[in-house]
Amino acid sequence: MLLRYALLTALVAGIGSHTAFGQTAATSAPNQNEIIEKGEYLFRAADCAACHTAPDSKKLTGGRPFPLPFGTVYAVNITPDMQSGIGGYTDAEWLKALREGVGRGGKHLYPVMPYTAYTLLSDDDALAIKAYLFSLHPEKAETPQNTLVFPFNQRWGMVFWNWLNNPNKRFEPDSNRSPEWNRGAYLTEALGHCSQCHTPRNFTYGLSSKAYAGAVQVGWKAYNLTSDKEHGLGDWTDEQLSSYLSTGKAVGRGAASGPMAEAVEHGLRYMTPSDISAMMTYFRSIAPIAKGPVAQDMPPANAPLSTTYKRGEALFAQACAGCHLANGLGRQSDWAALAGAHSVSDPAASNIVQVLLTGTSLETDQGKVFMPSFEKGYTADELAALSSYILAHFGGVKADVPASEFKK
Amino acid sequence: MKFDLKVNGTLHTVDVTGDMPVLWILRDILHLTGTKYGCGVAQCGACTVHVDGQPVRSCLLTVQSAAGRDITTIEAINQTEAGARVQQAWLDEEVIQCGYCQSGQIMTATALLQKTPHPSDAEIDDAMAGNICRCGTYVRIRKAIHKAASHDV
Repeated sequence: MLLRYALLTALVAGIGSHTAFGQTAATSAPNQNEIIEKGEYLFRAADCAACHTAPDSKKLTGGRPFPLPFGTVYAVNITPDMQSGIGGYTDAEWLKALREGVGRGGKHLYPVMPYTAYTLLSDDDALAIKAYLFSLHPEKAETPQNTLVFPFNQRWGMVFWNWLNNPNKRFEPDSNRSPEWNRGAYLTEALGHCSQCHTPRNFTYGLSSKAYAGAVQVGWKAYNLTSDKEHGLGDWTDEQLSSYLSTGKAVGRGAASGPMAEAVEHGLRYMTPSDISAMMTYFRSIAPIAKGPVAQDMPPANAPLSTTYKRGEALFAQACAGCHLANGLGRQSDWAALAGAHSVSDPAASNIVQVLLTGTSLETDQGKVFMPSFEKGYTADELAALSSYILAHFGGVKADVPASEFKK
Repeated sequence: MKFDLKVNGTLHTVDVTGDMPVLWILRDILHLTGTKYGCGVAQCGACTVHVDGQPVRSCLLTVQSAAGRDITTIEAINQTEAGARVQQAWLDEEVIQCGYCQSGQIMTATALLQKTPHPSDAEIDDAMAGNICRCGTYVRIRKAIHKAASHDV
């Protein structure tokens, strides 16, 4: 493990000097193994595994459903199987799919695949990812048919959407900024595609101009990442930000759950300290936007509790305090901490609802940390009372979470 | 992988996978069966042990995160001053009914008294939340904790 890390660090230091922002310097050509290893790092930085692996199926064989308002789109098999996977792709076809959203035979992809971000990738980086994927064992696994309704099932219609929403341009470093900022921008925008969840969408479902102001994706709230001190990350210390990105938790800020936990599990936790630091430099520069929930310190418990909150309090003591503790600091694990998290101060309670319904898990260097679903053991009324109590107790937010949130 | 676990003052070297829960090692390898398996998802408290003085759920505590730290189990809690008083108060008040959850209850109660020598009812409720007793001995547990705190044992 240590040797592997040392190799990776050495390799990435190498990438840094050759392709600092995804640009290639003309030096001696790396051998195939180096390209594959670089490809694996970039593949993780691009977080491909989170979407292209369905629960209980083989790695990268696709099949994970993405329910959209107009139907369901399934992630495809990206193992190098000739028929059901990507084994037949030429380099040119691969670049076109990754950056223009047009698959083999001119078939348009749907932008659930974040090609509007990957369009920024350099040729070398995109092809290194391909080289890594082609080094894997081919698995035969047909992708289920999408179930989109008309007109969304007309793939050619994406031509217009792309014209509006995909600039189809490679990343251009900003010479007025430091190399670290540029590396951070490339990691965040081209590879990490953070904006795909954290930037609100406009009426065409493209990204709006309110970059990183926070948005709701598949029911989960992706919080404000701008440098706003109240709504965004402006008040987070470097230590908190780096810890959250590389481990999915930060003392005093809670833990990542749902899709963010996936992003940490499959991608961010493999990033080198220098890449994490570059991303932080970039996040710090994002213009502040005052939007979204404001994370609060735990308020002192003085106000008398209403009946609903009392019911929630009893449920919390019974079902939640064992791990989270009444003071929200988390028992034996920083991943169980609630105090200071955005989620417990969000009046809409989006992520509290999601995590109670579906649970969450995160693979860490100390083993898997998880919370099970509480949907089956409790009624919607109970879960709603519990959510209202959590908001009041940890976030000082008075909001009656409706039971209907748990009946969808 | 080999890990050094310090349990009740004794160093044990165990050869297990890094994500094995400490509870399994205590019960199956070290044969310290006083710590009980209840729910396996840190919801019931039956498996509570102390790690560096903090009450933790050993069913979800991986060996790699516990290695090198001081682990105390119910087998040695009477060697601490608070633990001995708690156990005596438990006997005096006849707290136990079926007993399955009680080693966890005693471990959590002892940790509470070590940090808060004279807890109020609310502090007891907060600390003991998450240690579930299906016989419903909660009232006697609270009484016994007060008794242990009063040194009247």
